[in-house]
Amino acid sequence: MVALLESKLFVPAPGTGVVPRARLLDELRIGPRTRLVLVSAPAGFGKTTLVSSWVGSSDDARTAWLSLDPADDDPRTFWAYVAAAVSRARPESEPSLADWPEPGRPVSERDLTPLLNLLAGVPAGLALVLDDYHVVHNPEIHQQVGFLLDHLPPTTQVVISTRADPPLPLGRFRARGELVEVRAGDLRFTIDEATQYFAGAVEKPLSPADVDALAERTEGWAAALQLAALSMRGREDPAAFIARFAGDDRYVVDYLAEEVLAGQPSGVRRFLLETSILDRLTASLCDTVTDRNDGKAMLEHLERSNLFLVALDDHREWYRYHHLFADVLRAHLLDETPDVVGELHRGASTWYAGKGDPERAIRHALDGGDVEGAADLVEEQIPEVRRGRRESVLLAWLGQLPDPVVRSRPALAVIQVGALLQTGELAGAEDRLDEIEHELAARGSAGVPDWVPGSVELFRAAVAQARGDSSETMTHARRAVELATADDHLTRAAGASFLGITAWSRGDLEVAHASWAEGAAGLLRAGHVPDVLGVTIALGDIRIAQGRLSAARLGYEQALELAERSGPRAVRGSADMHVGLGEIHLEYGDLESARAHLETATELGEELGLPQYPYRSRVARGRLRQAEGDMGEAQNLLDEAEQLYVPDYFPPWRPVAAVRARLWLAEGKVDDVLAWASRSGLDVTDEPAYLREYEHLTLARALLAARPTGGSAAEAAGLLGRLLTAAEADGRTRALIEVLLLQALAAQAAGDGTTSLARLGRALELAEPEGFIRLFLDEGGPAVSLLQSAAKRGIHTTYVRRLLASGAPVPAGQPLVDPLSDRELEVLRLLGTELDGPEIARRLVVSLNTVRTHTKNIYAKLGVNSRRAAVRRAQELGLLTQSH
Amino acid sequence: MNQPRTAGDRAHTGRYEIRIRGHLDRRWSVWFEGMALTQHSDGTTTLDGQVADQAALHGLIQRVRDTGLPLISVIPIHPTGPDRPDTTTRP
Repeated sequence: MVALLESKLFVPAPGTGVVPRARLLDELRIGPRTRLVLVSAPAGFGKTTLVSSWVGSSDDARTAWLSLDPADDDPRTFWAYVAAAVSRARPESEPSLADWPEPGRPVSERDLTPLLNLLAGVPAGLALVLDDYHVVHNPEIHQQVGFLLDHLPPTTQVVISTRADPPLPLGRFRARGELVEVRAGDLRFTIDEATQYFAGAVEKPLSPADVDALAERTEGWAAALQLAALSMRGREDPAAFIARFAGDDRYVVDYLAEEVLAGQPSGVRRFLLETSILDRLTASLCDTVTDRNDGKAMLEHLERSNLFLVALDDHREWYRYHHLFADVLRAHLLDETPDVVGELHRGASTWYAGKGDPERAIRHALDGGDVEGAADLVEEQIPEVRRGRRESVLLAWLGQLPDPVVRSRPALAVIQVGALLQTGELAGAEDRLDEIEHELAARGSAGVPDWVPGSVELFRAAVAQARGDSSETMTHARRAVELATADDHLTRAAGASFLGITAWSRGDLEVAHASWAEGAAGLLRAGHVPDVLGVTIALGDIRIAQGRLSAARLGYEQALELAERSGPRAVRGSADMHVGLGEIHLEYGDLESARAHLETATELGEELGLPQYPYRSRVARGRLRQAEGDMGEAQNLLDEAEQLYVPDYFPPWRPVAAVRARLWLAEGKVDDVLAWASRSGLDVTDEPAYLREYEHLTLARALLAARPTGGSAAEAAGLLGRLLTAAEADGRTRALIEVLLLQALAAQAAGDGTTSLARLGRALELAEPEGFIRLFLDEGGPAVSLLQSAAKRGIHTTYVRRLLASGAPVPAGQPLVDPLSDRELEVLRLLGTELDGPEIARRLVVSLNTVRTHTKNIYAKLGVNSRRAAVRRAQELGLLTQSH
Repeated sequence: MNQPRTAGDRAHTGRYEIRIRGHLDRRWSVWFEGMALTQHSDGTTTLDGQVADQAALHGLIQRVRDTGLPLISVIPIHPTGPDRPDTTTRP
């Protein structure tokens, strides 16, 4: 979480002696279409004063105020402050914006949804004021503010005060009447306003001619008028002063500020100059910087004397100088005593470091030319910032340090390696790692933080992983886990994950599970709940592959509980947990529960999904639709899943294309599946490899469906035998059940009933304890008749009955969207014989045309276009073996 | 950094003269990164000096904006003689 300064959310109180500017407040009247109020004018034109008095004068809208400064030019910090400002104005609003935007990834336009929802729920409306918007240069922020404006609920307005027009589509807003503008010309004081102002600000009334001269010389510039009033304080002859001033060409503010400074006692003058380096002032900070102890008294004096001090809170703790005045003071400081400026900044840096504000401590160290001190501060912050997953902050700091300084410090150089890896610059990352190791070897551990060696090994593992070198990955990952300090849970977890990935890719599930589980425990200790949920997906996949459905289910359920316990708002990754549970209920053949979980995931939305959610959720929904018999929608979902696939850290053990090939198999499109297999480089003579296991099983199914008793059956049997050995050796029970079932079906087709039932018996024995159902039903008709003969023989009778009953939802056992009529079934059975068309017509006592119509309908419903294909498809679906 | 300059860099580095309305005291020179300040009798001031690149130039213009002084012109000052790249081959 970014440390937020409460005082930035404070509506600045309009100073004393402010002229009420009724004509401008009139211009600021909000119309029903107003989205944006733009107050654009140079420094010192009274923008902030105008907006704060406008806000103070309007009763019907509440205000969320944010005073921006250069440190806010980062999307995460910017929106965190916007959230804080809005929450401060509407503390009771829902949804809560605490911990928003979510840490650990870049802010995108989609992340603005919770803010927009909150604003839409504020019935009375809200004005979001962004004061000093010109400090924002980051194009992402401009784009996101533009998005916010485009989607703003009608009761809400954004007010921007700035010295330069922001790169927002102002022309469009103007053309649509959605923009209210106040510009420099409007803000200049008129003669009347100037007269009114001086009447309240100076002891002796000025003549109209003097006011005219001042207004003309200052061009109605508010800050200059104010300085002029201060300069005239205590003067015997203001008219002479005005005449001198009016006849001078010098920079107005400079001239007047000098007059004001000259009128101050030397102590006050020195205080003003020395503290001008601070963008915010408080007594003890001023004392540290000036090396005196009159900070409190000075600030009170300045405020009383109206010397351009702006209060930043209600309790007189924090102040800032008026920006324009501060610039003049700094120019004087740099000119008069340039050699003390560095020292002043270093004092401020020390004070902020002591107060736990590294951001400002680092900035002042850099401004004070203390590069090594700044580098020390960055180094100290690394573990904390990494724990908060705010690497972008570190990189921004590193960007301000000279390259040689970064390279000479292993702790800083390691952070840069992380950035290089993110952008895929492997060679650059390796060079940098070589340098770091060289440096570590040369100087030993002296002055190097203890977390560095573990991180170096971790990044070595990441490079090896990206290069596909699994043995190197393992070596470095193991060393990273060993070297990680006791509290460095992230490095330990990442190392364990690398070990888990490599073991998983090899199919060594037990080792993979142990490594991931260790990583999850570390992440949990470090409090990274979304990461724990991410690892839960890996653990779930592994348990399912091991045939341990109940363990996988328990893991997902515990992860959901953890997410619920961790806070009032849904945690990212919750949607993924429901997808995982949906997949498990699919395995149970419990379509209703599967549907419920997948619907819950959809309701939670993609914002609450991890990066792999878009494709994983569609694969699960596609499999559900297939089980429900909606093949078209299943195909659409799987096509989408393929488009949305993102390579993540998980090995691709179930490629989307193979899932879709199984859908085609269920539709009888055997030729398409065989074509896919050959395109994917799959061959019946392949040696088993875990990452191709799912695809090989799909190929074996296709071969059995194509020619159950043909020449390739022997080849398929060979492949299945090798797959069986591999799955058995590594304890991959789910694959083992599938192989046994396919072997049973192959034996059944070959007429070997004994072998068939023996294989089926073993499959059932493995499947029953965990309740696998879907695995048997995906096979269609042949499996049903196989199960029926098992039931007759009393093999696992209860379980087999359950399996057969689970297939029941499809009417009359026909897994077709549009089931065949009784007459069509009759025609279909005759198509399976040697009889030709006229003979079938005679058998059914109908005309040949009627037979042709029935045949056409049968082809359409089965999705085929030949008699042979229709018969084969009917066999696959078990339509010819069922009695009616 | 001893990197070869591209043609684009060459076109944008060099001396610039920034003219603003009003007389700005010489003490502001440090504030404007050491640019030389000259006050002119027409009530304007010029800031004159070497600029590292376009970003530095924009930084200076932003500082002018922050003083609130009206900006009149920004002009690149070409040195006497053409700024030609070294195309002669070494012996």
